[in-house]
Amino acid sequence: MALVALAALLLSACSPAPSGGTSLAYGLTLAPTGIDPHLNASSELGIPLSSVYDTLVFQDPETGQFVPGLAEKWSITPEGRTYTFTLRHGVRFHDGTLFNAAAVAANINYILDPDNHSQKAIFMLGPLDSVEVIDDYTVALHLKAPFAPLLDSLSQVYLGMASPAALTKWGPSDYQFHQVGTGPYRFVEYIPNDHLTLAANPDYAWAPSVYRQSRPGIATITFRFYVDSATRALALENGQVDIVGEIPPQDAQRLTKTDRFRLYPIPIPGQPLEYFFNTRLAPTDDVKVRQALILGVNRTSIVRTVFGPYSPVAQGPLAANSLGFTSEFAFPDYDLAAAEQLLDAAGWVKEPATGERRRNGTALSLHIVAPDYGSNPEVAQLIEAAWKSLGAQVSLEIAPGFGQLKSLQQKGAYNAIGLNFFGTDPDQLRPFFAGQGIYNWTGLQDPAIDDLLNQASQSTLDPAARMKSYATLAQMVREDALLLPIRDYVDLVVANSRVQGLRFSAQGWFPFLIDLRLGP
Amino acid sequence: MKAGVGVWLAGGWLCLAVGASLFAPLISVHGPQLPVGPALSPSAPGLPLGADALGRDFLARLLYGGRLSLWACVLASALSLIGGGLAGLAAAAVGGVIERLVLWSANSALAIPGLLLAMLLVAAMGPGLPTVVLAVGLGGTPGMARITRSIFLQLRQSSYVSAAEALGGGRRWIAVRHLLPNARPHLLSLATTNYAWAFMGITTLTFLGLAGDPSIPEWGAMLNDGRSHLFDAPHLALWPGLAIGLTILAVHTLGTWQARLRPGD
Amino acid sequence: MVPVLDRPALGALAAIGRRALEGAVTAWAAVSLTFVALRLTGTDPVSNLLSQGLASPQQVEALRHRLGLDLPLLIQYLQFLARLLRGDLGISIYTNRPVLGVIAEQLPQTAALASCGLLISLAIGLGLGVAAGWDERGLGGRLAGGLAGLATAMPVALTGILAIWLVGLVGQRAGASEWMAALQRLLLPALVLGFASSGAVARVVQAGLRESLKAPYILAAISRGLSPGPRLLWHALRPALPPAISLIALEAAFLFGGTVVTETVFSRPGLGRLLISSILQGDYPIAQGLVILAAVVYTASYVVADVLSLVLDPRLRRTA
Repeated sequence: MALVALAALLLSACSPAPSGGTSLAYGLTLAPTGIDPHLNASSELGIPLSSVYDTLVFQDPETGQFVPGLAEKWSITPEGRTYTFTLRHGVRFHDGTLFNAAAVAANINYILDPDNHSQKAIFMLGPLDSVEVIDDYTVALHLKAPFAPLLDSLSQVYLGMASPAALTKWGPSDYQFHQVGTGPYRFVEYIPNDHLTLAANPDYAWAPSVYRQSRPGIATITFRFYVDSATRALALENGQVDIVGEIPPQDAQRLTKTDRFRLYPIPIPGQPLEYFFNTRLAPTDDVKVRQALILGVNRTSIVRTVFGPYSPVAQGPLAANSLGFTSEFAFPDYDLAAAEQLLDAAGWVKEPATGERRRNGTALSLHIVAPDYGSNPEVAQLIEAAWKSLGAQVSLEIAPGFGQLKSLQQKGAYNAIGLNFFGTDPDQLRPFFAGQGIYNWTGLQDPAIDDLLNQASQSTLDPAARMKSYATLAQMVREDALLLPIRDYVDLVVANSRVQGLRFSAQGWFPFLIDLRLGP
Repeated sequence: MKAGVGVWLAGGWLCLAVGASLFAPLISVHGPQLPVGPALSPSAPGLPLGADALGRDFLARLLYGGRLSLWACVLASALSLIGGGLAGLAAAAVGGVIERLVLWSANSALAIPGLLLAMLLVAAMGPGLPTVVLAVGLGGTPGMARITRSIFLQLRQSSYVSAAEALGGGRRWIAVRHLLPNARPHLLSLATTNYAWAFMGITTLTFLGLAGDPSIPEWGAMLNDGRSHLFDAPHLALWPGLAIGLTILAVHTLGTWQARLRPGD
Repeated sequence: MVPVLDRPALGALAAIGRRALEGAVTAWAAVSLTFVALRLTGTDPVSNLLSQGLASPQQVEALRHRLGLDLPLLIQYLQFLARLLRGDLGISIYTNRPVLGVIAEQLPQTAALASCGLLISLAIGLGLGVAAGWDERGLGGRLAGGLAGLATAMPVALTGILAIWLVGLVGQRAGASEWMAALQRLLLPALVLGFASSGAVARVVQAGLRESLKAPYILAAISRGLSPGPRLLWHALRPALPPAISLIALEAAFLFGGTVVTETVFSRPGLGRLLISSILQGDYPIAQGLVILAAVVYTASYVVADVLSLVLDPRLRRTA
């Protein structure tokens, strides 16, 4: 009796606010450490914030072409070192201040300020030298060298235009809680790990052509965190949330058996989930061992087991849907016999009694480091099992979060380290394969690769010439057996079927929230 | 006191669990780490308990997991029993400053709930199964010190110890010769209770994902893994959940029975 | 529990004061323990930043200086205490924000869960305790007693998963509704947490009831013809209530710890999740701040519990 009364009391106290039909709940799957797009690097932050900011240009997800955004038009000097943008008039930030050339300069300088420690945006600007305000609505970016990916960079939320007044008012540590842009949605509130709220911007009148709608159709969008993949399907079924990404494949299959939900498998361009071999640490310093470790893993079986029927098996340093991918240098299929032969040839002989391989008394021992997010621990365990079957001793360490992954990588005590990376322009390969690259986790120092990367992005803007360079790189990566590619990333987004108009940007992650409508 | 059906069942389960995990390589055909069957199947030929999400023999994982879960707790509870017991013995036998110091530090440490104290230690030492065992062991030490002290104190006041003291026995001699042997039944029952706490603590911490390498099977970690497939493969949560639940019940039943056996209570 | 009144000569007020002082000393010792535990392991709070490439060596040196990490340990400890007294728990390594702010953000979620859990644990505990104590030999009584024992013994991880599974099955049949969403978000976690801590309440109520049913005034009432119905129950239960109420304070402390597992099982945001993620990421200013908070809450609860039992129980008051 008391229990029933208590339950009723609790329920009335704890039940959610009534939804008036124009509110929507969107599930996020990672809790970023910071969400200032200029300073932080998370992809998750772009899901809400791509609609808070407009960018100078936009990329059409269907054609890949760049179209006007806050810049009405632009010109590039023939040698590719100066980009001049003519800005749109009459655009206002959510705080009422006017968008102009000075605002562009303020944003770029905020990113360039070394005290602000930009983790991503600053690298997306490449060899940027300076920004010049020519008049109120004309701004020029001067580069030290040509930089082919610049327009791609400028089309992303990391280089979205924020109100200079807000940037100055809050400063780099607090701005993330008070973001002000010009986009179709206004930033209302952010409580880390709990929720982030956006509200429609009623004054939005400068929608770029990539959007299908010119005005937002939903009054409030609340983003909630479902970091634990086990809870996402349940949250959809209970009606707690209308859209969630990164649904586990079994749940995706189950949910879409009914017509209550719709599955949107979104292939994400970038670098597939891959295991980089440490070429500076034995035994993976030996190319034969690396080749054997690639041949000894049944990649197709791993991808089907962990990711179901949705993800393609990766075939190189770039995902198949990425610019610069070539199928010419696909990685070899599983071949246990060939792998055993290579290891024998490299001197790692199997002991009949234990089945373990040794060379001059030393065991073939491998240490794997894998991040904890997504299905990475599962994949890592299957790789561990495969390498154990080859006769290696394998240990596995799971890094909680990207920061710890980087920290473990810095210590250098790993033979293979797993990571995937998102990006639209193939210049994303530079930090991973250039000798001085910040993600050079193979440890390889090869001047030929450095030259190739420079040629591809900083000497020409000609797409055909660029793609040829990246194909050569793919060939070198395969021949040197630098990595074990696993799967091209496909984000399984499941939405309530009353959600209409769900589309994503060229990057794959960022929904065009302005296009969303709620059906009956 | 006669042992009831419950006690027999409890003892039976523990013997079964310990025996099965000891002889895991003989019982299960497959190892716990290689994928051998269709992922998520509840049962398949040769796989009586089916396969987990990666196609590994679930029976093998449960058995090998039992080795870790059941034995890690023995280590952890031995640590708190020995550490806490020695501190308690020192406090009771020596008294004075030592006693006050032991009591005071035990009470201060007890101001942090045991599980949180263990987590603090994991935070300091970094995740991993050895850390978890150490943390749970140390986390149980202060409570153990306090209880053992009061037990030893009671024994010290008993007549034969007073007699020994009157006869001029040294403090250390009294502690070793009289206090320890007489405390044995109490310590045994304490050990059982402590084992239950260690088991709960360790499975909780590994459930929270603090065990490190996920390919090593451990009941708490397996229960957590099962959470992801609660609706498409409930057997993944069912078996480790059952193993944990039955073990806790069994240890509690034995503990209660032992407490009733103790003379003078 | 620590005996409150080992010196009956002291006045009640003095006893309360002494208890509060003891609590403060214990809290101080616990706080010092967290400092020692984290410093003795030799982890440098800023070295991680360097290895993750989040800061340059010069910046790390500057930060070390700013945080006072280049000073002798004793001075650092004194500074730590001084800052603590001002409510300054330091700065999170990862987000570079004040620990107190980060904790304050997550506090409402945990407070909601813990307070709902407390109400539920009292309701269940009272129910089970009365059932078990009223008819100790009967089937219902034994069942209630067993259930109370089960509540204490079973880990929240287990009962939580069971609850999610059961409600999930029902939910798949019933479809989405505001009810289901609310149930998932707060009620179910609170129910699981409350059940786990109801065992202790039940035990206290049962023991109190058992004692007072044997008391002369109850026997007298029965012999005068009072039927063994609700009225008798009320008379018997009254003396059992004060210890149960003072237990509430202790329950609050227990719930605080229990939320860690509950929040993980149900993937609810809150202090528990914050603690786990800060441990995994090595962000231990946050972990330390949370443990300090727990220690203070825990000690304060003990003091409140003792004071409550003093105020509520006339017998104790008289001896005081």
